Amino acid sequence: MAFVEIDGLIKRYGTLSIFEGFDLNMGSTDRLVLIGPSGCGKSTLLRCMMGLEDIAGGTIRLGDDDYIDGAPNGKMKLNRQVQKEVGMVFQHYTLFPHLSVLGNLCLAPVRSRGIKKSEARDKALGLLERFGLADRANFYPSQLSGGQKQRVAIARALMLDPKLMLFDEVTSALDPELVVEVENTMMELAEAGMPMMIVTHDMHFARNIATQVVFQERGKVIEAAPPKDLFGNPQQDRTRDFLRNVLHIEG
Amino acid sequence: MELDFSFLLEYSGVLWRGLLTTLQFVGLAVVLGLIWGFILSMGRTSKNLFIYWISTLYVEFFRGTPVLVQLFWIFFCLPLFLGVDMSGFTSAVIALSLYSGAITSESFRAALKSIEASQFDACTALGLPNGVRTIFVILPQAVLRAVPNLLSNVVSLFKESALVSAVGMADLMYVGQNIANNVARPIEILSAVAIIYFCIGFPLTRAVSMVEGRLLKVVKA
Ligand SMILES: Nc1ncnc2c1ncn2[C@@H]1O[C@H](COP(=O)(O)OP(=O)(O)O)[C@@H](O)[C@H]1O
Ligand SMILES: [Mg+2]
Repeated sequence: MAFVEIDGLIKRYGTLSIFEGFDLNMGSTDRLVLIGPSGCGKSTLLRCMMGLEDIAGGTIRLGDDDYIDGAPNGKMKLNRQVQKEVGMVFQHYTLFPHLSVLGNLCLAPVRSRGIKKSEARDKALGLLERFGLADRANFYPSQLSGGQKQRVAIARALMLDPKLMLFDEVTSALDPELVVEVENTMMELAEAGMPMMIVTHDMHFARNIATQVVFQERGKVIEAAPPKDLFGNPQQDRTRDFLRNVLHIEG
Repeated sequence: MELDFSFLLEYSGVLWRGLLTTLQFVGLAVVLGLIWGFILSMGRTSKNLFIYWISTLYVEFFRGTPVLVQLFWIFFCLPLFLGVDMSGFTSAVIALSLYSGAITSESFRAALKSIEASQFDACTALGLPNGVRTIFVILPQAVLRAVPNLLSNVVSLFKESALVSAVGMADLMYVGQNIANNVARPIEILSAVAIIYFCIGFPLTRAVSMVEGRLLKVVKA
């Protein structure tokens, strides 16, 4: 059985329909990279996975558990226990600006998971050390570079020991020279075996980190394959067109 | 016309006491207005429609009528309504505080509303319960963002407090008018009063811009 199973997902914003029966599976050792034209619903899919969006139909399972059961008119059911196993990093960092790096990392473990302050602090310092951010522990977000902020955001999510990590264009807001440090951090996580769903425009990075690349368009999966197949030998015309466009722009 | 400022020295003690009275009014109205304004802002962001409308009506009323009218009403009418004797001082403080609360609540409300939806998303993604989210994430940021506005409210209130002289409170303005009548030298004395107001008001205004610049850097990370 798949680790993540999205079945018949229906998502609408008012009258705007994003998904009308979207299916996607992911294995427990997979790193799924989602690609597709802007506005095709990549962010929406991750937000649904995080439980940030109300879905009108379909189900999402995670591991052995029912996670989200969609229903119209705000009657969706969401299992909070399962939600706790999912972590997410956003394009615009969304760190808490009034808290130090340590404060950002420790808030959720201490205030909602009942972990002792000293314990959370040790764990936070360990993570910061691992990411080469130990000397930034007492800095405020406004004192960090974009790349540092994004790595702090990753560390903040990891504090809660997620079983699945979601990354929504986490390098898109960064200056080019800062992209690599964030991508390296994600590669390190990948090597440690973290299942991930990643949205990115960086096809080179996608090729390196993905076990499976999913090309979606107009609310449907057009093609899903390991990176060397999807990039090297795409089967669908639309995939080819899309790749030709983005690779051409990338130069 | 000859200007003669030397006689002012003679009145410096009276002017000083007037200034202290002004500062006392402003200080009390600021503190009470902060508390009252915070409560009102909760009302104005409440999902309970009754609480929302009551507090909105209140705020709009106090923002939409002259402070002088509010002051007179509370000074002359409120004691009649309540059937109690109120000292002029108490009435004036109440009037200024009720007004300052309405203005303050708007600053709090704007600050609360200015917090990006993404901050709420981050809280959900971290599994923070609503209470933790409000107390540890949203409120501190709202307060920080409200500070520059709250400070400019203090400056306005400081200037508007001169109105209490109209109901006979011996603040700086009142004292100045009295001296001017007594010595028949309105130019010197009223100029002096204006300069004293300015000497307090100007540093306050400068402080507002400084705080604004610094806080924005922290809050907009
Ligand atoms: N909160 C929202 N309200 C209304 N429409 C939205 C909202 N969020 C996204 N959309 C729309 O949904 C579509 C998919 O958006 P998104 O998932 O962000 O696309 P992508 O991440 O693939 O670029 C877009 O047309 C977008 O305008
Ligand atoms: Mg997007």
